Amino acid sequence: MIDNIIFSIVSTWQGWLNGSSLLFYGIAILIYAIFILIVTSIFAYIFGWVERKLIAKIQHRHGPTFVGKFGILQNLADLVKLLSKEHITPDNADRILLTIGPILMLAVTTFMVLLLPFSPTLQATNLGLGLLLIFVLIAFLPIIVFLAGFSTGNKFADISAQRSVLMLISYEIPLLVVVAAIALLSGTYSISGIVSAQAASHWYILLMPIGFVVFFITMLAEMERPPFDLREADSELIAGWLTDYSGPYYALALFIDYTRMFLASLIIALLFFGGWSGPLLPPLAWLLIKAFIIALFTIIIRATTVRMRIDRILRLGWTWLLPLSLLNLILVYILFVA
Amino acid sequence: MSTRINIGPVHPSTHGVLRLVVDVDGDTVKNVEPHIGFLHRGVEKLVETRMYMQCPPYMEKLDYVAPLSYDEAYVATVEAALGIEVKERAQYVRLIELELQRIASHLFFLGALCNDMGQMFTMFMWVFEDRDRVLELLQEATGQRMFYVNMRLGGVTMDLPPDFGENCMKLLSHLEKRIGEYQRYLEKNPVFMERTKGIGVLSAEDAKSLGVAGPVLRASGISYDVRKAKPYYVYEKLNFHVAVEHGCDNFARYRIRIMELRESIRLIRDALKKMPDGDALGASIKLIGPPAKNKIVTVSRELPRGECMMYMVSDPQRPYRLSIRSPCFVNLAALNHIAKGERLADLFSIMGSLDLVMACVDR
Repeated sequence: MIDNIIFSIVSTWQGWLNGSSLLFYGIAILIYAIFILIVTSIFAYIFGWVERKLIAKIQHRHGPTFVGKFGILQNLADLVKLLSKEHITPDNADRILLTIGPILMLAVTTFMVLLLPFSPTLQATNLGLGLLLIFVLIAFLPIIVFLAGFSTGNKFADISAQRSVLMLISYEIPLLVVVAAIALLSGTYSISGIVSAQAASHWYILLMPIGFVVFFITMLAEMERPPFDLREADSELIAGWLTDYSGPYYALALFIDYTRMFLASLIIALLFFGGWSGPLLPPLAWLLIKAFIIALFTIIIRATTVRMRIDRILRLGWTWLLPLSLLNLILVYILFVA
Repeated sequence: MSTRINIGPVHPSTHGVLRLVVDVDGDTVKNVEPHIGFLHRGVEKLVETRMYMQCPPYMEKLDYVAPLSYDEAYVATVEAALGIEVKERAQYVRLIELELQRIASHLFFLGALCNDMGQMFTMFMWVFEDRDRVLELLQEATGQRMFYVNMRLGGVTMDLPPDFGENCMKLLSHLEKRIGEYQRYLEKNPVFMERTKGIGVLSAEDAKSLGVAGPVLRASGISYDVRKAKPYYVYEKLNFHVAVEHGCDNFARYRIRIMELRESIRLIRDALKKMPDGDALGASIKLIGPPAKNKIVTVSRELPRGECMMYMVSDPQRPYRLSIRSPCFVNLAALNHIAKGERLADLFSIMGSLDLVMACVDR
């Protein structure tokens, strides 16, 4: 339905512009990108509110109640507050890196969301190597954190930046091995291809539960969700790489946090939970519902567990996740491919 | 290459206003230098200008997590200077209130420890629910919610209300259930176990030579509790054990608090059963008469954070000199020894396991 609307808007525009096809394509992508950004923002907003409410429920509190009905406008109020604050650049900070760090991060994250298919028709492009491209781009995020952390000249941010790189080497390989198993099982690197392969057989969570566990843990680490939120470990590093970000940039960083969560839950929903397949509701709705339920689990994990330590994450990555992901690859090969 | 970072005095997990100058090599702590005194109010000097019974409110502010225990320690010191006995029922009342205070304090510890290990305040909120009920009970008994000032010479200001025993029993069985829940919740969490087992080891010899106090000492396998070693009130008549752990690490220091919570529950139950009827009210110092000049008394008490010793030189009008040996101070002094060589993240869980209250450190 939404894809039809977008398509009709774009074709009207094409009529107006007497269509050179490159321009047409560019405009279509732009409109699609705006649409995706709106969906992302709505998801991020609702997710932020639900996170606050759910954590409050777990902790036997009420959570936000004052701004709007059930405190639904609390995050908006926070946003307004943060936007109205001054952004202070510390003296010994690298001004350029400090500024572009969060912006680059938002750009990479939204770009990845843009590359994901939302329904059989609602997708920017059906890349044959979409799966690989996504995971190449994901590996950029810790590097941007590293740059932004070092740029502020704050020692807590420095430590956070170092942790960021350490974490990268601990879980990136198991993640890619699971991705390899997915590609092996579906026979394609295209994400919509993987979704249709799941529709033809079963959801991949049923076919490779070990792979799912490894993938879920690594995605939690990738998205800095507890218990792997070492980069912004508030009890030790104050706010980690965000310590010297203030005002609008901090708001941006919080928004990126929720966008990354959206991205991670979308990827998990697409690769393991059959993507948009489901009865009655339109495909986009199914995908968002699945993503949201996955995001809820991360909230529960966040509320109940204590933080892991950096050397333990390395140990977990190399002694548990890597062997498990390899086992998963072998099992997938023996059971379903050979 | 080591980096020197400054943590505090305003930092999410320094338990008030503690400043730490930490040398780290990457993520490993090389040296910790605590800088204290941000909460120093000169209480020891201040009491020299106050009448004897004007001082308990100052004493309570020394430990805002367990105010009643400091109150009691001070009043016991004055009683020792006067040489008076506490009425028998009042001894039971005091004991019950002190143990309730210990429960409230140790519950706070559980929440703060999880917080320091990076939990999103969940445990903190849960234990505060329980702590609140303990405080409500204490409010029933004393009329105040936080700073009780319930001790009078030879007794207490208010006897327990008639339905106290019943309410208390109800609360204790509730607490027992909740403590079991917390224990299961934490000890079945592999991340919690990983973050506490073998972290921050303080061997028995080091514990002795550093002079650490209270649960930290007992977690290093040394069975020393003032309540057993130099019994006061009716502790020797009641049924309880000194909780000892031999793990010497963060886990032992967490576990000892859980065990002490159970022991306190046992103590209160026993005390409620054995409590005699009679008068528990204390008297004014005017009725008792002034203490002798230059009488030196030392009283030691087992506070929730460890052994507190009060040294007082008396004077007819006001304390001539009061010196307080604070358990938090000696425990903080051991921080560098314990945390050296540990990870930066563990520095904070170690600090949480020492259960510091900065007002008590700075006095």
